[in-house]
Amino acid sequence: MTQKALKIKENDVVGSINDFLRQLLSSGKIQALLVPQSTPSKKVVYPVLIADPKKLHSDIIAPVLPVATATVVSKLTKVQPPSKPIGVVMRACQIRALVELVKLNQASLSNIIIIGVDCPGTFPINVYADFPEKKTPTHFLLETLLKKTKDADQYLRSACHVCKDPIPTNVDIVLGFYGIDLDKELIVEAHSEIGRELIKDIPLEEITDDKAREKAIKDQREMKDKQRAVFLKDKEGMKGIEKIAEFFDKCVNCHNCRQACPICYCKECLFDSAVFDAEAYKFIRRAENKGLFKLPSDALLFQLGRMNHMILSCVQCGLCEQACPNMIPLMEVFIPAAENAQKEFAYHPGKDKAEKIPMIVYREDEFLEVGEK
Amino acid sequence: MSEEKKNHSKEDFEPKIVGFLCNWCSYAGADLAGTSRIQYPPNVRIIRVMCSGSVDSMYILRALLEGADGVFVGGCHPGDCHYIDGNYKARRRMVLLENILGTLGLEKERVWLRWISASEGQKFADTMKEMTEKIRKLGPNPIAKHWNL
Ligand code: SF4
Ligand code: SF4
Ligand code: FES
Repeated sequence: MTQKALKIKENDVVGSINDFLRQLLSSGKIQALLVPQSTPSKKVVYPVLIADPKKLHSDIIAPVLPVATATVVSKLTKVQPPSKPIGVVMRACQIRALVELVKLNQASLSNIIIIGVDCPGTFPINVYADFPEKKTPTHFLLETLLKKTKDADQYLRSACHVCKDPIPTNVDIVLGFYGIDLDKELIVEAHSEIGRELIKDIPLEEITDDKAREKAIKDQREMKDKQRAVFLKDKEGMKGIEKIAEFFDKCVNCHNCRQACPICYCKECLFDSAVFDAEAYKFIRRAENKGLFKLPSDALLFQLGRMNHMILSCVQCGLCEQACPNMIPLMEVFIPAAENAQKEFAYHPGKDKAEKIPMIVYREDEFLEVGEK
Repeated sequence: MSEEKKNHSKEDFEPKIVGFLCNWCSYAGADLAGTSRIQYPPNVRIIRVMCSGSVDSMYILRALLEGADGVFVGGCHPGDCHYIDGNYKARRRMVLLENILGTLGLEKERVWLRWISASEGQKFADTMKEMTEKIRKLGPNPIAKHWNL
């Protein structure tokens, strides 16, 4: 790994990062850059594919994740990957999701340069859009990062509060701000040959203190682990049909959660399919079964079915929860379920491209107690 | 005793079990139990499938949510699957499903996977007896009372 420092000019972190990204794009080594960039209203930040360096005004620190970047990269590469490299700027959870999509043959990394960003977490879209503080969310966040306070924590989405790992892995380049004086410099790391090649001609300085980053990353991970342990302990009681039925009572079967999920990729979801269309007499039969029958039906079957389909690859980005119109705190159920299921199969979604998704492989000599007794 | 109570008292309750039986083994095993006149409780409603590997977890979930007291999946012994590895895949799926049910506290004890070959009529009958008794002890599936799912 090569570590360099990007000097922050005139106290303008966002501007200095943009200078760097423009140089990257102007080098001719990549044909486009996918970056998080504000819409003109400044209310939200989308992944925007930039072809002209002059149009690049990204905000990679902006604490908002309106859509799954992994899904966007899938869209960009699934039909035919680019013929020349393009760079994609992504948060840690989205890189993990992308790795899962690659395993599921829903995305390609061919000619995709992954530029990971240290993630300080994100706010719900509406909190970001109508931010209650006097500054923009980005400036607010920058200040809390500089002063090393936890002021931003109060606004974090619950998923980000207990993030599995906010430090990007499986990347070509990292733009990092943990373990560095962000008012002076930003870390640029090249993790691959092509990453090194890309930053080679961009003026960067030597790092002043390389131990500091290692320690800051460790601290950050430990803090998240602690918060997540508290969260899991707290949700331990979410058990039994009484509680589960009540938890999902507000679920109106809109399937927005599935739409927002980077892992749910099925062209036709079972739950939108004709499987659930039936003759009236079948509905009546189901009503006769329990004496009465709620419509729309099968909301809990959808939740459990979806969980069964995606939980082993769940990267816990929390976009399902953000998408729910009825504000069901889905992570309270999905994080414990993901933790337990992934532990059972010793599987780590997003960690290693070579690690096979558990449901497509088996060993003859495993789980021997299941099926026998 | 109120109607409600009566239905939910454990001793006189007859569990409803949905059984997905592989055509090549457990289904034939059940058949053999029948033709050999080996007695087993009539609580299981048998659905013949082509392989334990073709039992989508969704079938099991749907049966449980509709109020089945137990769901049984019968497949060929490891190594004997007609389609080579359907039962190994079924086993992984069962591990995942049980894990999820466990996390949510939804009584994974109601879901059984067992290997029963075409020649094991006695094992099929014994397994049905055992499962019926275990489920009777567990009592009726509490999900059956919930219509708002
Ligand atoms: S889940 Fe983690 S990586 Fe994803 S947005 Fe939140 S803090 Fe960032
Ligand atoms: S987004 Fe919310 S209401 Fe819609 S299907 Fe998902 S959990 Fe149900
Ligand atoms: S054919 Fe019987 S389990 Fe596959």
